[in-house]
Formats: sequence, structure tokens, C-alpha cells
Amino acid sequence: MASIDLDKMLAKIKSTQWALSDIDWDAPGAELITEEQWPKLKEFMADLMWIEHVGARAFAALAKKAPTDTLREIYSYFHAEEQRHANAEMALMRRWGMLEGDEIPEPNVNLRIIIEWLDRFADEMPVYVLGTVVPMLEIALDGALCTFLLETVKDPVCHQAFEKINDDESRHLGVGFTVMEMQGRSASYIKMVQMMARVMDPRLILGIASYMPLLNKMRDNVIAMGLPEEKLYKAMQKFERIGGRTEEGRRNPWFQLIKQHGRWVTNRSNKVYHVPVDALVKITGMVPRKALPAVPSWVKELTYEPTATR
Amino acid sequence: MSTTEDSKKMAKPKAPRKKAAAACKTTARRKTAARKKAPEKPQSVLIVGAGFAGLGMAIRLKQAGIEDFIILERGNAVGGTWRDNQYPGAACDIPSNLYSYSFAPNPNWSRSFSGSEEILDYVHHLVAEFGLEKHIRFEQNVAELRFDETKGIWTATTDKDVVFTGRAAVMAQGPLANCSFPAITGIEDFKGKKIHSARWDHDYDFSGKNVAVVGTGASGIQIIPELVKVAKHVKVFQRTPGWVMPRPDFSTPEWNKLLFRKVPASQQAMRELLYWSHESMALAVIWNSPLTRIAERIGKWHLRRQVKDRWLRRQLTPDFTIGCKRVLVSNDYYPALQKDNAKLITWPIARISEEGIRTVEGIEHQVDCIVFATGFDVSHSGTPFPVLGRGGRVMGDDWKGGAQAYKSINVSGYPNLFLTFGPNSGPGHNSALVYMESQLEYALKGIRKIVGEDLKVLDVREDAQQRFNKGIQKRLAKTNWNSGCKSWYLTEDGFNATMYPGFATQYAAQMSEFKEEDYQTA
Repeated sequence: MASIDLDKMLAKIKSTQWALSDIDWDAPGAELITEEQWPKLKEFMADLMWIEHVGARAFAALAKKAPTDTLREIYSYFHAEEQRHANAEMALMRRWGMLEGDEIPEPNVNLRIIIEWLDRFADEMPVYVLGTVVPMLEIALDGALCTFLLETVKDPVCHQAFEKINDDESRHLGVGFTVMEMQGRSASYIKMVQMMARVMDPRLILGIASYMPLLNKMRDNVIAMGLPEEKLYKAMQKFERIGGRTEEGRRNPWFQLIKQHGRWVTNRSNKVYHVPVDALVKITGMVPRKALPAVPSWVKELTYEPTATR
Repeated sequence: MSTTEDSKKMAKPKAPRKKAAAACKTTARRKTAARKKAPEKPQSVLIVGAGFAGLGMAIRLKQAGIEDFIILERGNAVGGTWRDNQYPGAACDIPSNLYSYSFAPNPNWSRSFSGSEEILDYVHHLVAEFGLEKHIRFEQNVAELRFDETKGIWTATTDKDVVFTGRAAVMAQGPLANCSFPAITGIEDFKGKKIHSARWDHDYDFSGKNVAVVGTGASGIQIIPELVKVAKHVKVFQRTPGWVMPRPDFSTPEWNKLLFRKVPASQQAMRELLYWSHESMALAVIWNSPLTRIAERIGKWHLRRQVKDRWLRRQLTPDFTIGCKRVLVSNDYYPALQKDNAKLITWPIARISEEGIRTVEGIEHQVDCIVFATGFDVSHSGTPFPVLGRGGRVMGDDWKGGAQAYKSINVSGYPNLFLTFGPNSGPGHNSALVYMESQLEYALKGIRKIVGEDLKVLDVREDAQQRFNKGIQKRLAKTNWNSGCKSWYLTEDGFNATMYPGFATQYAAQMSEFKEEDYQTA
């Protein structure tokens, strides 16, 4: 049984808090970003920041649906911690001169669609849908992207920030996998029936339709940055390895579904999956920004300032 | 009893208040020099606390012809909770015509829901009207209450070693009398101003200041709209959003006051109407019923009507059954949060720093002042001072597993002692004073028996107390309070020693009968 004690985890989370003001954002090292790196890094950081922010919103939805008080509180903390990561990443972007004034970087269209979906439907989703998808996103995108960033960027402040971020993320994953195992403990058949009923939910289908192109789009962005896509796939395989390490974890139908999807994503020769999804990426790429609804107000909570008086 | 003459006095609330307050202070100076030796002849009754409960008890004793009692008050003025809670916007969330004693009606309430100042005026009026001043000993903070079984006497010893004795004692110190700053990491490091809602600093000028308010309960939602009017910026730190219902608050027209003065029965009729409308709310608030859903819909409608932003609305939407925690009433809380100089923060607080509050999203919210509207120190398993009963038993020890009493008012092993707002007497839907009146009547019956029959001991039987509590806890299990949310009604273990699981009418019926067979006498 690989599950962790959630009460102890909550205590650990509370005792290991950090703030943006713990980091000296003006310390030397910003000059280590090369001119060649700068434009790609800007786009990369913007995506990363938005993924954190989207993750934050997903945790907010999880907090509403958590089956126990402890888990509810843990998710409330994770919601805020993901926001902290996004804030810290914005602070790094500012340090590197990638923000103009108070400008918040624009999310790409796939992220905008995910934001819209989360805003409208995330709270309606059962806890185990997001509880399984979020670890996948964290491990695949967050994990792979952060590793890559630290390999590429020499700025010590970036390393300092990501050391803290990665510590948080390892706790997020620990809880994520434990929850997946908790889900697997119930009778599989009943869960499978419940899951199928959920899959038929048009709101969830819409979510899946947004999630699939997001992964492929991120893969394209990662390649554009010079990260070998194998690294992303390796990270995604980690989801399968850790999530499936116990009987309970394997019995979770959502794990099986996301794992299978991960396999499709990492198998470029699977044309049945990639041709339509890549087409979706292209189509969504053509959606004019003006056609998208206004961003929800939770997006405006982002800030790179360690302190706030207003 | 209120006569037309009394009404005229009440028509000018300011004057009597000042007079009463001044009188209180004078009394304080006069009476604090009490002798350190216990008086030879004990009083019939010792009352601890000069808030609504203690003064109400005193009035009923006087009306029953019992004059030898004293009230020990730790402060230097009467009023209890209403003396302490004078923060801006402080008001009662029960209509004034119901939040007042039926034996001392006030026809001149200026609003349907009066502010704390006016309620305090009413309290001062009670003192003046019923001649209670001479019975009050101010600045006498009881440190111990001990029963002498051989003599049948209660002895109260104050923290200055002053001793008072009485044949019966009434603990009327109030459940919401003590407060402290919450145990948030770093609270001592904060260099700015810290204010607790129940100990307001009226000299602090909020204009031009950045202010944080921690807590969005009954006090918080009253303070915030007032602070937003004067402060430069107000950040509201919320942990759990409560259910906020609209507040039908109107100023009372002059003709209405005149009618109540001239025809007291009309005010009684109004009180009855309010009483029964609040009784009906029990069906929504105490138990999970179809009316609960209707009440929740009203709450959501109120939120939707006042808050247009979807995310803010989500932040303010409660995630527990209405009634599980105290239901809040306000018309100006939601609008205040949306003012340009206000902001709701729902991130968990990580710690308090020298400059402000650090939340988990990594930001330090720097402020000049933090207002803690974090409620009171409610004890579910202890007493505010040691209470020693028969054979030296200590009530706090007996209550370690959760406070228990017989009909909320007597505790076995502690004869001749009456509690106001004792265990399981809390109302969730009706006026506290309605419950209080039943308690005062019950205590009066017991005191009359002790004095009239010259009893040394009137002690509730252990088995009667246990039987009573078994029934209460069984009934509580079916209520919204015990439906899973955390609230100050419950102990850490989820034991409910606070609330009464029923209608006020049921509570009154419970208290109307004094079952002598449930008591042991000597």
C-alpha cells in the first residue's frame, strides 16, 4: 500500500509554506539568459505559468468536491500553491524582462479553451475525474517542463524558485496518487458503471475535447523549445508506473483511461489518435482570440509582486 | 414592566445610557472596596455577570420579592456582550421586539434590528427601571465558586480575594464573554495595530489606512461594510463562507412607537408574530427538510442578486447545509466586498508577518491594521473559573468529555447552582432571550424552593441528568448542526454541548415543569 497519511501530509504542507518574498528577485544571474534562449523561453514560461494556473483552478474544483475535510483542506492549499507557482513564474519572467508593465502573458488558445471549460464545468465534475487528470497534467507537463527548464536555464534564482516549486509538486503528486488509489479501493464494476455514466456527460466530453489537443499542443511547444519529446513521454510513462504500482491504483478505472490515453499520446505512430487531435490543434489555433469569451475574474488574481497593499 | 411613563424615558435613549454608565462607574468606585472577609449572613442568591442573563435574573428575583442578592460583575459597567461588542455596525440579528424581555418591553426601538448601542441603552434602562444598581458589585472578577455542603452555602472568591456568599448561585457570565486573538503563526510579529471585534478600540482612526479583516462570521460581516466606508483599502480574509440571508431592516415609524406605547397589547402581538415566524424557521435551520432547500435557495438568490461576478459568487457560496453553522443576515456585506477599496481573499493564511498577512499563494498582504472578527473562546468542556461542588468535585473535570447538565440549567453534584445558557440551551433560529426567560423562570422556582423550604441542598439526580442527556444527544444526531460541518457549536470530537435540538416552544415546555422527583433535597 503506497498511500500516504493525509493528516500528516496536511500538517507537512502547513509547515513548509514559502512566499515570493523569500526569494531575492533582483539577485544577480538574470544575465545568464542568452539572447537566443530569450524569445523561446518567454513563450515557454507563459505556457508553464498558465498550466500552473489552470492546475490551480482544477484544485479549486477538487476542494469543493473532496470527500473528507482533510482532503478538502489539502486541495485548498494546493489551489493556492499552484497559484503561487504561477506567481513565481511570472516574477521570473519579470526578472528576465519578459513582461511589459503589468501585462499578464496571453494564454494560448488551447489553454483559453481549458480555462473556459474549467470555469464553467469543473465544479460539476466528480472528484475522481479531475483527481486523475490533474496528476497526469502535473507529471507530464509540469514535471517534464520544469526538469527541462532547470537543465537549460543557468540563472540561480530560477533554480532557487524551482527547488521550492518542485518540493510542492512532489507533495501534490503524492496526494494525487493516493487519491487515485482510494478510488480504486471501491468495487471496480460499480466504479466502471459510474464512470461510463460520467463519460456520457456532454460537459465531460467537452472537457476531453479540450484536454486532448492541449497535450498535443504542449508537445509541439516542447519540441519547438528543443526538448526531446521522449522526455515528455518518459514523464508521462511515470504516471503509468506510479499510478499502477498498487492493486488499488490499477483498479481505478479513471487511471486505466488516462493511462491508455497517455499511451496513445506517446505513440506517434498511432494515426487514429494523432491525425484528428493534431487537426483539432490546428483548428483551435485558427480560432480568433476575439471569438473567445472574456477571461474569468480568477485569472486576474495573478501577480508577480511579492507584496500587495491593494 | 413598561408603562407609558417608562416609554417616555426610553424615547430618549442617549440620556439614560450616559446616566446609567456614569452611575455604573460611580457605583464601581463605591463598591470595589468590598471587605475581604465573607459577610456573616449569606445572600439568598449570588449572580455572576451583569449582562442580559444576570440582570434578567435579578429582575425576576425582585419581582418575586427576593431582595437579598448580589450581582458580581468583572467589568466596570453592565451590558456583557453588548457592552463589549461595540464595533462599528454591531447589531443584533434577531428583531428587537423579540430580542428584549417580555417583562420589560421597549416600545421605542428605532429599527426592526437595533444596533448594539441602542441595545445597551435598553440594558441600562433595565438597571435604572428595576433599581438594580445597588445590587451590583463591579470589578469583582470571580476566580472560584465553591459549595459548602454542610452549610448549604456557595462562596465566590474573586481574583482580589474578596469573598461573597449565597445560598444559591446563578452563573450568568455568558457563553460569549471571553475572546482572544487566534493562534495564527507569527501573530506576535505584526508591528501594526491589532483589534479584536469584541474589544474595539474606538480611538483608532481607520481613515486612510490599509486594513485586513480576518473572519467573516456574524461580527465580520457587520464590521466590513462600516470599515469599507472609511478605510483606504480593506482586505477580507475568509476561511469558510457562511449563508447570508437578506435582512428586513426598517426604521420604526413614529406612529408605530406611539401605538406600542398607547396599546401595549399591539407590541405583544408583534412579538408573538415574530416569535412564531422564527419558530417556523426551525424547520429549515435545525433539521434537514424541504424548507432547508427553500432557505438555501433564498440565500443563493440573495447572493446572485447582489454579486454578478461568477468567481466571486463561487467564493462566497457556502458548501454546507444551511443551519449547520450560524445563519448570517446582511444587506450590505456583499455590496461592500465589491467596492473598489475592498477585496475578498480566500487563500489560506500561511502566517502573519511584521507587515501583514502572508497567504499560501505566496503574497504578503501588507496592512496597517488587522481586525480579528474571529469570535469568542467558547468552552465546551470547561468553566470560566473553577466550580467546586459536593465533596470538592470540579465541574471542569466532570465535563472533560463534553459539558452536560440537566435541562441545561442544573448539574448533578453542584446543588443550588443554576446555569444560564448552560449546555444544550443554544438557539439556532429564535431569540436567545426567549430561551433565557424560560431559564430564569426555572431558576426562580428552584431558588424559591431553597429559600422557602430552607433547604441546604437541592441537587439534581445523576440518573435524571443522564437520562436527559441521552435523549438530547439522540435528538441532536438528527440535526443540521451535527451534519458534518465544523462550527463553534461542536467540540473538536464533534460533540454538541451547545445547541438545543428543537423549537423554542419545546424548550419552554421543558423548562416549565420543575420535577421535584428528579432532585435530591436535604
